[in-house]
Amino acid sequence: MSRQALGEAEENLARRFEEIERRDREINSFIELNPHAQEEARRAEKLGGRLAGMTVAVKSNINVRGLRATCASKTLENYVAPYDAVVVERLRREGAVILGMTNMDEFACGSSGESSYFGPTENPSAKGRIPGGSSSGSAAAVAAGFADAALGSDTGGSIRNPASHCGVVGVKPTYGLVPRHGLIDLAMSLDQIGPIARDVRTAALLLEVIAGSSREASMLDVEPQPYSQRLSADLSGIKVGFAKEYEEVTSPEILGVVKRALRRLEAQGAELVEVELPNLEKALPTYYLIVFVEFFSATRRYDGRRYGYRIEEVCGEEVLRRIMLGSYISQKEYAGRYYRRALQFRSLIRRELLQALEEVDVLAGPTTPKLPHRLGERLTPLEMYAYDLLTVPANLAGIPAGVVPAGRVNGIPVGLQVQAKPLQEQVMLNVMLAAEGRA
Amino acid sequence: MKVRIGFEIHEQLATRTKLFCRSPADYRDAEPNTNVCEVCLGMPGAKPMGVNAEAVEGVIAIALMLNCELVREPVYILRKHYDYPDLPSGYQRTSMPIGKNGELAGVGIWEVHLEEDPGKYDPVTGRVDYNRSGVPLVEIVTAPDITSPEEARNFMRELVKVLHYSGRVRREGGTMRVDVNVSIEDGARVEIKNINSIKGLYRALKFEITRQKNLRRRGKAVKRETRAYIEEQMITKSMRTKETAEDYRYIPDPDLPPLRITEELVERVRSELPEAPHQKLQRFMQQYRISRDDAWAITSEPEMADAFEQVCGQVEPGRAAAFFRHIIKKTLNYHGMSFAESGLTVRDILAVLGAISSGRLSQQAAELVLREVVERGAEAEELIQRLSKLDEQSLASAVEQAIRENPGAVQDYRSGRREAINYLVGQVMRITRGRADAEKALEMLQERLS
Repeated sequence: MSRQALGEAEENLARRFEEIERRDREINSFIELNPHAQEEARRAEKLGGRLAGMTVAVKSNINVRGLRATCASKTLENYVAPYDAVVVERLRREGAVILGMTNMDEFACGSSGESSYFGPTENPSAKGRIPGGSSSGSAAAVAAGFADAALGSDTGGSIRNPASHCGVVGVKPTYGLVPRHGLIDLAMSLDQIGPIARDVRTAALLLEVIAGSSREASMLDVEPQPYSQRLSADLSGIKVGFAKEYEEVTSPEILGVVKRALRRLEAQGAELVEVELPNLEKALPTYYLIVFVEFFSATRRYDGRRYGYRIEEVCGEEVLRRIMLGSYISQKEYAGRYYRRALQFRSLIRRELLQALEEVDVLAGPTTPKLPHRLGERLTPLEMYAYDLLTVPANLAGIPAGVVPAGRVNGIPVGLQVQAKPLQEQVMLNVMLAAEGRA
Repeated sequence: MKVRIGFEIHEQLATRTKLFCRSPADYRDAEPNTNVCEVCLGMPGAKPMGVNAEAVEGVIAIALMLNCELVREPVYILRKHYDYPDLPSGYQRTSMPIGKNGELAGVGIWEVHLEEDPGKYDPVTGRVDYNRSGVPLVEIVTAPDITSPEEARNFMRELVKVLHYSGRVRREGGTMRVDVNVSIEDGARVEIKNINSIKGLYRALKFEITRQKNLRRRGKAVKRETRAYIEEQMITKSMRTKETAEDYRYIPDPDLPPLRITEELVERVRSELPEAPHQKLQRFMQQYRISRDDAWAITSEPEMADAFEQVCGQVEPGRAAAFFRHIIKKTLNYHGMSFAESGLTVRDILAVLGAISSGRLSQQAAELVLREVVERGAEAEELIQRLSKLDEQSLASAVEQAIRENPGAVQDYRSGRREAINYLVGQVMRITRGRADAEKALEMLQERLS
């Protein structure tokens, strides 16, 4: 069949597959490609829809019927999803073509993209550096031009962190805005699925397709909004908050990029306001205690009876560490000391963030405190956890947060993080659009 | 020695769908592992849907019938972690109490809550059937107010009756599971699991109390432990001791927002609450002017009580009560069946009562009809037709036939062997296939042969 005979969707798909074929051996962003993609592209062509023909890569912890949802772990090496996640159903309904399943930190337990059973992912925008994680393959695939967009999941920064390091746009929606049915758990009270794309408009479009109430219990009862149609970079009357605590924890070169981005927002009409987040540093230990306990609970089903392997027998060290710690601190005698206190601190942090957001429309600041390290460099667990310091508060509070490329330091991308009140995705996206325009 | 016994009772709620998904809750006719979806199989990524409202209302109704206070605080759904093949996600979801501080027949009800059933594991074949996984259960926890196996049995009968009256639990039977706590003279508390009938409960308690008393007599301490009831041997056997007790690592399920038991919801359930057994008993005594024993027997099951009330629309209540208590109950007991299981209808009962009062059916024949209906699901009216007494003329011709066919017996009788007439009566019964009135046949034979 000649090129001309191919429809637009098929042509797009063929181009993507060629690029993947040519360059993904080096990047390692995909674990598995969709063997039915061409057929699906042909169908999408006929069907039309808001995403007609758009190629979307899906993180390997999201169920896509017929493809393996491995969570980049040997534990689920042979788990072929028997059903579509709700978000995947919604993408298909609008004509998107699922490209394949992307690489990630094992069970989303990581911030660097190095802990996959299928090997680490390279950062296409800063070769030799980590792409960030845990949605490493999704961000890398978008940055490398393998996919028009991708789905990631974000429990404590897993969309925003790699988006920042790879120089792409990533959005973690309000908790309960996007259905999780089909997303394999890290920590259920924090996990959200969100889009990764090269520009804010595409991310907004993807978000409006996947958002909105479903039958699952933890969903908010909200209608999806046409974010992409209402985008506006005019920030007059918008108050943008910056917490002085950000300065204490962030490296100066990242702060430089962020400050310049803030001044550009000001130029677009925004008013900059300084706010206080005195408990910012409590967020990290609070977050990890909750993750350990919920992850321990979530992994009990991998007992070796149904999915081939018992998780503790085949998983990597970070996954095992979290299971062991989760098991330890959720014991009856310690539950009060750790988990229950973590939940109390979580309320405190949520209150503090919501209070700060009462004075402003959005908070804008850095995404990670430091630049991505070199691939293969050994970090202690605590050094690794420290990447999440600025991203976990949004998950603890359930508020939306997005990252947009803000500039570079020695060629390494740095993203600006924008956080908003619950369900205020529109104003968040508008501020991101304004920042993007001049990046 | 003072014995203290308390229960944890689990019974399936009769909802249309499972607790956290829309798979049917009634799996009885389904092939193994077909009545499932990704949610009740706990597949990776599957999320619970909202808690089944029908199940929540069922628990509220039962809590109200057990005179509980309804909890006003948010009711969290907890994950109880343990490792067993029947548990597809490695944890069982169980709610915090929905009702508290109730009372039934002098026994305190500590709490009533909602839980999900696990699948079914067969240790012999190693197979698991998840059809049952996620079916809603009500769990009732009593105070240790019971002091003997006899009391335990009576209380359980009363409780089962209330559950049936609530209309909220499965009536197919075989789904009730009871865990029992037993201690003697403030000794260690022993939990017995794996009891699934009132008979089993009674036997398990008999055995366990004797075991504990024997230990004490020999000066040994009773260990705090969990034991299993082994039905085939009628004994209890140690499962695990306190030292090896499991830690379930309870956490509130992060996928499920807490339930809100609102005043409005409770009042709605209360307004639709069926009459409790003791209320019905009182009302029957007054309204129908029947004895306490009659009323007790008739109200032993809500379905029977309903049928009685309908029958009373057409039959004098005293007569109806006697028929229910003596004839119907006797038939049911003979078959070891409940009224609901028997398939007896008001129509059947009215037909039989009508045939008795018109003289077409003897007492014995009436019982025969009921037995046939219960055993084979036959139509009562048709049976009555077949079994109704013979008219004078048919009986006379049957008598003639018996005399004609048995000249030897006739000869014997006439020659003075009076008992030979019994043989002839038997022959009349045979010829009429039991429809003849034996008394009448005897009279007629005596007359003909004199």
